[in-house]
Amino acid sequence: MSEGIGHNVPRVDARSKVTGEAIFTGDLKLSGLLHGKVLRSPYPHALIRRINTDRAASLPGVVSVLTSTDLEDIDPYYGHSIKDRPLLAIDRVRFVGEPLAAVAAEDEVTAEQALSLIEVEYEDLPAATTLEEALSDDAPRLHETDTLRPGLFHGLGELNPDGNICYQHSIHRGDLAEAFKQAEIIVEQEYTFPAVYQYAMEPHTVIAAWEGKSVTVWASCQHPYLVRAELAELFDLPVASVRIIVPFLGGGFGSKSYTKMEPITVALARKARRPVRIANRVDEAMVTTRRHNMRCWMRTGALADGTLIARHVRLWMDTGAYADNGPRVVATAADAAPGPYRWKSFQVEAYCVYTNRPPSGSYRAFGATHLQWIGESQVDEIARQAGVDPVDIRIQNLLRPGEEVRPGGKALDADLVGDVQKIADALDWGSPKPPDTGRGLGVGLLAAGARPVSTAIVRMEIDGHATVLVSSTEMGQGVRTVMSQLASQELALPIEHIRVPGGDTWITPYDRSTGASRSTTLAGMAVHRAAREVRQQLLEIASQAFEVALEAIELRDGAAWRGDQSLSYSELIQFHFGFTGGELIGRGEVSPGGNKGSYAEGPVFWEVCVGGAEVRLDRDTGRLHITKLVSVADVGQAVNPDLVKAQEMGASMQGLGNALFEEMIFDEGQILNGTLLDYHIPTTEDMPDQFISRLVENEDGPGPYGIKGAGEGALAGVPAAIVNALADIGVQVTELPLTPERVWQALREAEAEHDDGGSPS
Amino acid sequence: MLRPFEIHEPGTVEEASVLLARFGIDAAIYAGGTELLLIMKEGLAHFPHLVNIKTIPGLDEIALSAEGDELQIGPLATHWDLERSPTVRKHAPLLAEVESQVANTRVRAVGTIGGNLCFAEPHSDLATLLLAWGATLELSSSEAQRVLPAADFTLGLFETARQPNEILTRIRLPLLSENTAGAYRKFSTHERPMATVAALLEVKDGIIEDVRLAVGSVGPLPIRASEAEALLRGQSIEGATFASAAELAASASDPMDDLHGSADYKRQLVRVLTAQALMEASGRAAGETNEG
Repeated sequence: MSEGIGHNVPRVDARSKVTGEAIFTGDLKLSGLLHGKVLRSPYPHALIRRINTDRAASLPGVVSVLTSTDLEDIDPYYGHSIKDRPLLAIDRVRFVGEPLAAVAAEDEVTAEQALSLIEVEYEDLPAATTLEEALSDDAPRLHETDTLRPGLFHGLGELNPDGNICYQHSIHRGDLAEAFKQAEIIVEQEYTFPAVYQYAMEPHTVIAAWEGKSVTVWASCQHPYLVRAELAELFDLPVASVRIIVPFLGGGFGSKSYTKMEPITVALARKARRPVRIANRVDEAMVTTRRHNMRCWMRTGALADGTLIARHVRLWMDTGAYADNGPRVVATAADAAPGPYRWKSFQVEAYCVYTNRPPSGSYRAFGATHLQWIGESQVDEIARQAGVDPVDIRIQNLLRPGEEVRPGGKALDADLVGDVQKIADALDWGSPKPPDTGRGLGVGLLAAGARPVSTAIVRMEIDGHATVLVSSTEMGQGVRTVMSQLASQELALPIEHIRVPGGDTWITPYDRSTGASRSTTLAGMAVHRAAREVRQQLLEIASQAFEVALEAIELRDGAAWRGDQSLSYSELIQFHFGFTGGELIGRGEVSPGGNKGSYAEGPVFWEVCVGGAEVRLDRDTGRLHITKLVSVADVGQAVNPDLVKAQEMGASMQGLGNALFEEMIFDEGQILNGTLLDYHIPTTEDMPDQFISRLVENEDGPGPYGIKGAGEGALAGVPAAIVNALADIGVQVTELPLTPERVWQALREAEAEHDDGGSPS
Repeated sequence: MLRPFEIHEPGTVEEASVLLARFGIDAAIYAGGTELLLIMKEGLAHFPHLVNIKTIPGLDEIALSAEGDELQIGPLATHWDLERSPTVRKHAPLLAEVESQVANTRVRAVGTIGGNLCFAEPHSDLATLLLAWGATLELSSSEAQRVLPAADFTLGLFETARQPNEILTRIRLPLLSENTAGAYRKFSTHERPMATVAALLEVKDGIIEDVRLAVGSVGPLPIRASEAEALLRGQSIEGATFASAAELAASASDPMDDLHGSADYKRQLVRVLTAQALMEASGRAAGETNEG
């Protein structure tokens, strides 16, 4: 069937999105809807001495003003990994932008005006606004870390808090000291990765309606079931009394993973007893969640012939004032730190650190993006010192399928050598380079899949059309199209007869989350199984109707065929029920089953992160021009190759932004480029001259048909490739992003060193 | 969030001036809106009254003066208008060239030359170009009319000589002489340039008779690099010391450290761009094509 897997079916939501018919949370109109606005702290760290809301509350049009005193009947703390965050600041603010009050009014302008009438008296506290400050001995403490409470979905083992460190994670293998003793080449360096904003076109938007003892929430969230669980716990409700409905999302990239603006909106609606909408602006989204800035020290040892033997890594990630997904990011970064090589020994010590900055959470390919450029630049440096070609050193040292990646984890399930060779081919590796041009590549792994728990229902109705009920969030990645194709493949049904509505926790069944590249593999497997159940029922009914064995029936194009005789699905269902009504229902689930072990024993699969770049350097200005970007999507089996390539391009462009210019700049906890006027995201003008995306389909994934997830890897692979391409021209950098000024400074330093060395000119 | 405002739609410059005088600091002129609406949406400024001058006829005209010696540009001419106007392309191709590179397509489609100059955002292509070019600006109010050289118009960051009740009604660009050639260079990583350089060279019999060199976007307002100009005046085009001139321009540029970059780096950009602009202008002069 031409609409099943492997085909470039047009997106099922393309038409409604380009015509503006598609509904996003912000488009919804509810009767009596109020508009909420949030008062945010101007201080990085301060005591709240007094809040007076009288003037705000008496402004005509204001319905409710919410402060922490309205939360005294509940336990107002949440946080899926660590329950450290009050829904509104209580007695103390910990970052610039922290919500401490909210207003619900008849219109947005009134709500905003009311915010300016709230009087707050602060008492400034010493702040720890950088990693260095937070880790110093006399650092002000953000939380009482010895009494941290684990969140509902932490799955992290021991937290091991210490001072401002809320989570420590380490992995190791072999005798590190012994391995370094054998090393003939050692590379050691400190590195810095900046804070980055996961720009999504639609900032966080939530509508909440509180009715009696239940609440309905329309939210731009990636993980409706995890938000449901946190809201149910916060407001002490049965989970079924919290209904989360997820319309289309205007991009997520991790910024809408877990719980964000939902608790405040629900609390405001609970007080106002009317539906309330809160829609973040971009400047508010930036202080709602961001990517961790990081400091990292790495040491790699090798034999003289380039055989990699030992790596030692220490890394500190700035998770801001509340943990958010920081502990998971730190654990994933630790997983990515060794890189996919055959070490005699490695050791990684990773720390999640509280600071007085906005909280950090998930962003596409987290952890891997942070570490891969560092590890891969050390591999290239060793190659240079050993006189080995960068491609050869990787072929020499890369893990092969079936080898252990990290102790206790899943063995390697991908052909990395093949992937690297594809990158090299696409870059014309080894061919002569124009002046001031460099080529580089990067390879790594990302622990993907999150918890493998997903369910799905397929309903085939009386007219033979099918509805796929699955809670994966369509956030632009194309999940509704992919689920349609997977159902189409099993049901032998044209795609226009398949409907995939959005997630609704009253209707669509449990799915752990939409992230970690998991949906096609895991929710897709649930859909595949649910559709297969319906397929089985169709075959059985047809076998009765035709009075032949099951094997004699073929399902094709929405009908059951026996030779040249056919019965449409609609006719089969009517035959089965003996009535002009009825439907077939299939259910599918995915679970780790008897595996009671921790998440740490995963991952579901290793997502391959490979990238290649060719760059040209303007020595006068330090500007890099990207002439070529290459990505390889090692996907097992592509359901929709065009959609995979579109995701590769998106991830590559975000990788380009992370590598070249994206950075949230802070001064004493205050963000200096807190709007899109000053914070630059990649645009079409930043596109490389050429973009090449190669698909690898080895059917080696855990999903149906050997599918494995994709869409994140290029974001980690591209910065590594660009950094190495620049080093290929002779410019080494240890801090991202590679702004022209930073590259120019590095060039000047390299030239000064060169001159000092007295080399002949 | 855009707070509510009242929009006024005058039919004449005089009416607009009266409105501006009446509302004072509560009013702003609305033309292309590319800068104004941005700062209003970001809450960086609020004007309860906007005076939309697009309802005044004739302010977007682009024409050659009766004497044929200058280009007269209405403030409402958009960047696109100027990039595409046959008159501009014929008589001031350098302006068309610069306009084709301003910001991005969306800004070029609606942003106006008058708005660009009056907003006085330091990262402006046109302020630098017009300073080198020696343009003059006509300002009108209900009471009077005056003409200012471009050099006296921009006073600082977001600050111009325009009085609150005045409207920029015309930009006058003298046509360049037959033996004058110009070039413009900028460095930008995003929409707004981090450094801009405009160079005009008048060359006669292989000798640089006059130089006009303007440097902008690195400090609060564009400046003329007069020492560099003095150095080059009288030099032969073949033996011109463009590198030294670029060095002088870099020293004179007085950049400030900000989010765009350090003063050191901006000086480097000025150095590089000045040398490039001078080389290109001299190449054009030698090619005897009038690129002004």
